[in-house]
Amino acid sequence: MTALLELERVEARYGAARILNGVDLAIAPGERVALLGRNGVGKTTVVNTLLATAVKCGGEIRVRGERIDRLAGHTAATLGIAVVPQGRKILPNLSIQENLKLAAALRRKGPWTLDAVYGLFPILRERRHTPGTALSGGQQQMLAIGRALMLNPELLILDEPSEGLAPVIVDELGVILRDLAATGVAILLIEQHLRLVRDIAERYAVLSKGAVSAAGRMAEVDQEQLQSSIMH
Amino acid sequence: MLINALNGLVYGSLLFVLSAGLVLVYGLRRVVNFAHGALYMLGAYIGWSVATLYGFAAGVVAAGVALAAVGVVLDLVLFRRLAGRQPLITVIVTFGVLLILEDVVRSVWGTGNRALDPPAALDGVVEIFGAPFPVYRLFIVAASAAMAGGLAAWLRWGRTGLFVRAASHDASVAAMCGVRTAAIGPMVVGLGAAFAGLSGIVAAPFLSIHPSMGSEILVLSFVVSVIGGLGSFAGAFVAAMLLGQVQSFGTVLLPELAALLPFLLMAGVLIFRPQGIAGTKG
Ligand SMILES: Nc1ncnc2c1ncn2[C@@H]1O[C@H](COP(=O)(O)OP(=O)(O)OP(=O)(O)O)[C@@H](O)[C@H]1O
Ligand SMILES: [Mg+2]
Repeated sequence: MTALLELERVEARYGAARILNGVDLAIAPGERVALLGRNGVGKTTVVNTLLATAVKCGGEIRVRGERIDRLAGHTAATLGIAVVPQGRKILPNLSIQENLKLAAALRRKGPWTLDAVYGLFPILRERRHTPGTALSGGQQQMLAIGRALMLNPELLILDEPSEGLAPVIVDELGVILRDLAATGVAILLIEQHLRLVRDIAERYAVLSKGAVSAAGRMAEVDQEQLQSSIMH
Repeated sequence: MLINALNGLVYGSLLFVLSAGLVLVYGLRRVVNFAHGALYMLGAYIGWSVATLYGFAAGVVAAGVALAAVGVVLDLVLFRRLAGRQPLITVIVTFGVLLILEDVVRSVWGTGNRALDPPAALDGVVEIFGAPFPVYRLFIVAASAAMAGGLAAWLRWGRTGLFVRAASHDASVAAMCGVRTAAIGPMVVGLGAAFAGLSGIVAAPFLSIHPSMGSEILVLSFVVSVIGGLGSFAGAFVAAMLLGQVQSFGTVLLPELAALLPFLLMAGVLIFRPQGIAGTKG
């Protein structure tokens, strides 16, 4: 089967600083993969390479088997790849509703409309005219997820969604992500919170020194093995 | 009194429309565009040339369209590269554009003053509380209000306006959401330049057309932007109206100080609000 997204020996840099030295990663349609690794190892850079904010300087990226040669900032979105970025990146000068509408820019067809997102997160409807940054951390995360869903993505990339959230909110997030996975959307989850990872992911890949150093099926590795391959 | 206030309103409206273009470009590119005054002047000259042949309305359209095109080229060639550079570099480069455009105007149109009569339909005076007032000046206020209102509505409620606001705050987030940010830049700078050109041709029958008209009004437009708080439309509006009145009453009441008043006003505002009327710190 053709992978939905495939990175092959991808290299990337910021300015002169080379961060990725050949990352291999593949995600099949509907699959749930975790990307793990220590702080500062380059997990976000993998996402940034797809978003063209880090410069890809080697290797190949394929989406549904098709090679993507020229990456612009909006390319990933047009290919059905939505990102819930680290730190959420809610635009403070837009209302909640405008943050959501922004991601309807491409008018991709699918189940996710403004109403559907409000159905999933009623609090966003209640406060739709307030600035997105007036929300609590957990609510902002919902807004960031809602915004990504508005793209009607085939692949949802979440970069440390549990960061800064209270434990009960992280549990809620787990439920939401599992429900989303059940809709058939593929998920690439970047997380430090291993319990959440275990809840969601079927496969994992560990990033170390700019490349994937370990990978496998979630069911075949226990918590300690996972921890040590991350810390390695 | 009332006539003075009205004249201040006329001048303030012009200043606001001109400054709106400056604010728009600064908001997206963080480039303080010194060439903005030259674009205003170029709009006046192009509009004048077309207006003398085909009538005033054609002149207005020509100024808007031609300057929009100039703006698109400016963004693709220069501003895109200037975004994120040190302010000093952007000042030097856009100042260079200003000098080039002024020279172009001098060699094409000469150094003398040109006058443009208001179109027949807008020529004449009306009585306002017993005092005569030129109809064309009221037209300036109406045209400025329409342009500013149109821009505000587009930014506030338009689909593309939403994209512009998003890209102005964080282009990478807008792009992540599917906005073609590469197209937003030329569009915004084109629109900003069109606003400069339109205010140039609209101002032409009111002020006169000459090669330094751009630099003259640019200084005031900067005062508006600084008083308003860089990048804020609401602030620029208040500042432009304030400055219009200061100019109008200043020339009558304190003629020997009139040229200084805008700067005194700016200094006064900055002492109490260093970030400008509507600016945020930093
Ligand atoms: N915009 C940037 N410009 C230059 N260097 C950067 C930039 N962003 C990140 N880096 C550097 O690239 C390296 C990888 O950063 P990255 O954000 O990808 O790590 P990460 O694995 O996502 O870390 P974390 O777990 O803290 O989110 C780090 O050394 C970081 O300092
Ligand atoms: Mg990160």
